[in-house]
Amino acid sequence: MSKHKTFVFLSLVGLVILVLLVTTCAPAATPTPVVVRETVMVERPVEVVVTPTPAPAGPVKISFWHIYSEAEMKMLEETLIPRFEAAHPNVTVESVQIPYNEFRRKLLTSIAGGSAPDLIRSDIIWVPEFAYMGALVALDEFMPDFDTYKEAVFPGPLSTNYLSGHYYGLPLDTNCRVLVYNSAMFEAAGIATPPKTMDEFLADCQKIKALGEGKYCFADGGTYAWAVNPWIWSFGGDVTDPDLTVATGYLNGPKTKAAYEFLKGLVDDGYMHPGILGGGVDTWGGFGNDEIAMILEGPWFPTIFGTEKEYGFALMPAGPGGPISVVGGEDIVMFQQSQHKEEAAEFIRFMLSEESQLSMAEVGQMPVLSALLDTEYMKNHPYYGIFLEQLKTARARTPHPNFTKIEEVYNLAGGAYLRGEVSFEKAFGDAAATIDGLLTLE
Amino acid sequence: MNRIRITQRNQHILTAYIFVLPGLLLYLIFIIYPMAKALQMSFYKWSIVPGNPSKLVGLANYTRALQDPVAKLALRNTIVYTLITVPGQMILALAVALLLNNIVRGKIFFRTLYYLPVVTSWVIVSLLFKYIFQSPKGVLNHLLVNVFHLIQEPIPWLRNASTAMIPIWGLGIWKGVGWAMVIFLAALQTIPQELYEAAAIDGASSWRRLTSITLPLMRPTLVFTLVMLMIGGFNVFTSVYLITNGGPLQRTEVILSYMYHQAFDFLEFGYGAALCFVLAVVIVTISFLQIRFLRRPEEMGL
Repeated sequence: MSKHKTFVFLSLVGLVILVLLVTTCAPAATPTPVVVRETVMVERPVEVVVTPTPAPAGPVKISFWHIYSEAEMKMLEETLIPRFEAAHPNVTVESVQIPYNEFRRKLLTSIAGGSAPDLIRSDIIWVPEFAYMGALVALDEFMPDFDTYKEAVFPGPLSTNYLSGHYYGLPLDTNCRVLVYNSAMFEAAGIATPPKTMDEFLADCQKIKALGEGKYCFADGGTYAWAVNPWIWSFGGDVTDPDLTVATGYLNGPKTKAAYEFLKGLVDDGYMHPGILGGGVDTWGGFGNDEIAMILEGPWFPTIFGTEKEYGFALMPAGPGGPISVVGGEDIVMFQQSQHKEEAAEFIRFMLSEESQLSMAEVGQMPVLSALLDTEYMKNHPYYGIFLEQLKTARARTPHPNFTKIEEVYNLAGGAYLRGEVSFEKAFGDAAATIDGLLTLE
Repeated sequence: MNRIRITQRNQHILTAYIFVLPGLLLYLIFIIYPMAKALQMSFYKWSIVPGNPSKLVGLANYTRALQDPVAKLALRNTIVYTLITVPGQMILALAVALLLNNIVRGKIFFRTLYYLPVVTSWVIVSLLFKYIFQSPKGVLNHLLVNVFHLIQEPIPWLRNASTAMIPIWGLGIWKGVGWAMVIFLAALQTIPQELYEAAAIDGASSWRRLTSITLPLMRPTLVFTLVMLMIGGFNVFTSVYLITNGGPLQRTEVILSYMYHQAFDFLEFGYGAALCFVLAVVIVTISFLQIRFLRRPEEMGL
């Protein structure tokens, strides 16, 4: 009996050691950004009385929600806002930082509850959706001097604020993806200059593959718009027609097909990291460990990635459509529920001033004012030059209220096609038909 | 005399109501009201902006749920998850409870240890499992390829739908064992020792003692645990959301993760609410059938 108990005891000890082994192998490396979202019920909608423009009597507080990083927020709160408040003694600005993955949900909840902020710095892809909901103020109607700003900013970023005849915001900062290449891997493979065309890109991929097992020419996280659109456009294809009325003939057209066939070729030949098919890929980690030779990245890359590794920037490789990349960035928009629209508009003007734009440029926010292109600061900047060059032709993802749904449709089609589960014609014929339906607003 | 007794009784009832009231209010506000609201939403194409009217669409959200191939797959994944994790948890928990019941030294220590996964955050252990199952450099692949040389190539666990559910099932079982174990341990301690002594005198083997004494006497506990674990299984969300996020290509979606994507990514609150009620109907039906057919009348206090 006591022998039996000893056995039980020992087997329990064994189990514990196993459990401990599993738990102590806990991740020390590369903490992936965590998306923690929880289900919340939306509050009951309440009628909101919108006071158009109350007289600026007494102190006024405006709230500004954003997703600035720590360095950017420090600049905003310690330099810009005090500067604004000094010039407008009756106004205080409340800066609220919200993580990207929670931002949209939090905002939607606050809109539903009738307590939206006065202003937000919104991802450009959200603006048409919020505008279509009726949550935003049409700035071209509200700001008498709107045209001055409209002419001062880059047209590409500006276009992301447009919906059915009105502009609902102004660009605040801009970015795009350019090719980032791993200098050590290029040297080992004998590649002297980064690829300028798709053919050169393929030739370089062959050389990278020759480096051996586990070396990838290129990697991206999936088949979402931010990843695939640069390839679609560079091959001369598109998701929809320029007026956003139809996808059939564009998304499943011959040029878009060429782009996806090119990507599928990269996957099938082992040039592309298979993480694009699902399961994710740590592109920065692979780039840092000399496993991935090229990635597409934005202007935040140098500040966050660090300077330990040597790398270079180049334009997106050119296809039949040119070297076309995808525009990212943020717009500043004002909410209908704002009680202090005049003051909020003042803050928009302030954020678009050359002084504010240059201050934010110092912490990695690329300015949107054309006039700044000729300044010494921008000309001498170590890496803004290549991004500005790429921005000249970069394009925005389908600026449509249904963007989130549209993107999901061709994201799934692209994933199934790259896995070889379905023909291009079938996957993208169906996807284009679905998107045709989504482009029509009720 | 009679009248006084009635008044006293009324007073008792009144006191009882006063004690129940705060809990009842909280229940009404935070459980019943949102449920009623969600039920209402499920019949609308719901607009979240105040002042924008929502469109009444009748049963359209429900017919859409019944025809949506992804919703069907999500329901299937949810059912498979439940069918795998519930027996897995119960068998392992029973084994651990029986072992623990027999040891003398370190009982509390081991009980605490096995209970630890239950009280750790779903978020943390989900990310831990995601890390373990990563490819090509997750801990599991490292062990299989480089340490034990069981396979040549690392397995891309999360890239294929056929293997992506394995970490989710594994996590569900690993995290739930402790909870069922504690309940089983409590039940084991209520079984009179004399029965085992009598059986030992009759020469019953330990297997016979398990099947003829332990399991029959634990029956109410087993049924209770089964029902609770089934409900928990159908509500699987966090692990799926964090480990695969429904991918690749929506093939590991479960009902709640799909509902979440519909509501909070695509603003289809009406459709999301309808999906919830479809799931609720499934859960209530199964739980009802379980209690009706697995519990004996004498165990239900009838």
